[in-house]
Amino acid sequence: MRTLLLLLIILIAAISGCLSEKPQNNEPVEINVAAAADLYNAFTEIGKMFENETGNKVVFSFGSTGNLATQIEGGAPFDVFAAANIAYIDRLKEKGLLINDSVQLYAQGRIVLAVNKNSGLKIENLSELLDPRIKKVAIANPEHAPYGLAAKQALQTAGVWENIQPRLVYGENVRQILIYIQRGEAEAGIVSLSIANVPEINFILIDDKMHEPLNQAMGIISSTKKERTAREFVAYINTRGRPVMKKYGFLLPGEFH
Amino acid sequence: MDLFPLFLTLKVSIIATFISAPIGIAIAYILARRDFSGKNFLDALILLPLVLPPTVTGYYLIVLFGKNGVIGKYIYSLTGWSVMFTWQAAVLASVIVAIPFMIKTARAAIESVDIELEKVAYTLGKSEWKTLLQVTLPLAKKGILAGIVLSFARATGEFGATLMCAGNIPGKTNTMPIAIYDAVSAGELGTANLLVLILTFVSIFILYLTNRLIQGRW
Repeated sequence: MRTLLLLLIILIAAISGCLSEKPQNNEPVEINVAAAADLYNAFTEIGKMFENETGNKVVFSFGSTGNLATQIEGGAPFDVFAAANIAYIDRLKEKGLLINDSVQLYAQGRIVLAVNKNSGLKIENLSELLDPRIKKVAIANPEHAPYGLAAKQALQTAGVWENIQPRLVYGENVRQILIYIQRGEAEAGIVSLSIANVPEINFILIDDKMHEPLNQAMGIISSTKKERTAREFVAYINTRGRPVMKKYGFLLPGEFH
Repeated sequence: MDLFPLFLTLKVSIIATFISAPIGIAIAYILARRDFSGKNFLDALILLPLVLPPTVTGYYLIVLFGKNGVIGKYIYSLTGWSVMFTWQAAVLASVIVAIPFMIKTARAAIESVDIELEKVAYTLGKSEWKTLLQVTLPLAKKGILAGIVLSFARATGEFGATLMCAGNIPGKTNTMPIAIYDAVSAGELGTANLLVLILTFVSIFILYLTNRLIQGRW
């Protein structure tokens, strides 16, 4: 009986707690941002700056752009979507899932050929991936990860796509690919420049003429209840966030190739 | 319609069940009938894959069995072969995540067998091995079979750890759950729906069949 009473008290306290939690004007707002995996380093850093300066909170969900887009189509409660390819943003915009005037470009990404340092291999271009000492080459899944698609296009341009098939390993997004190469499970792979700067890896830029441009756009989800903070965040990326984006190797709007 | 993922999933989960059943029963018996120091720790270790997110389990498998892993590097230097990115890695992942179900269920079943009956068998001159095979296991068979079904079911649905250590190589390691995840990610909802339906019906069919087998013939 006493336990029952205690449970009842806890329940009532919890319910009244929920009811009194009405957002007030100056209270910190928490926004959920769906972001492509290549943004992991840059957005985590910008997110902290944004939190410190505005007092609001940003919660990121990093994943492959295609996967996040499908989740948003399924009604996932995000406030902002930062894609690795504008095509996905356009797709969502057409379906009325994004606030039209919030859509903007924020970066152009580059891909790099990454090689595990311990493999002892010196690789200068994509056709050297056919070297027999390379057993596995890791790229993000071209079906739903823009950086994977760019990797596929670059391998096609280099004329090695057909022959490299038996060595190819797909990951869900560029961050998973990075783990494979860092640990040497794949000797080489293609990731975004923005996350490639880790101690275990040597990397060289892949000529951006070899693939379609990775124009990255973002937008605010129509169903958001926190549009004001979402707009603040989007604006922040393209102003105060610029030096950080630049540091991680993104080209900024106005500098696109 | 490429049915490769379905056959791969069936192959992987059947092999994984055949591996985890004998090992699981042996460990369950030891945990149920023996006392030794570190028993609780072993119990906790075995249950770990049940608690950890499968992706973390998968990462553990990379660290342990990868080409540069703690154990994997010896296998690689001896044989030149690494389990990573092969269908065998999917089996490994499935065994690790499924075996706790086998052990937990079988252990409870063995513990519920009246220990007096085993003692009677001993006084009648049966060895421990014979007692196990002729007394304990037959009396615990319902629980053990339930454990086998559970671990098979868990292996069929295995996704996170497999994705990490078997990768996702079309025609090689894309199991049914991975193929479904890919189809959804790529926005190919038609394909996804079809795969989901197939997996659901095959799973129901197998579970139904096993239930019949357990209640009827056994």
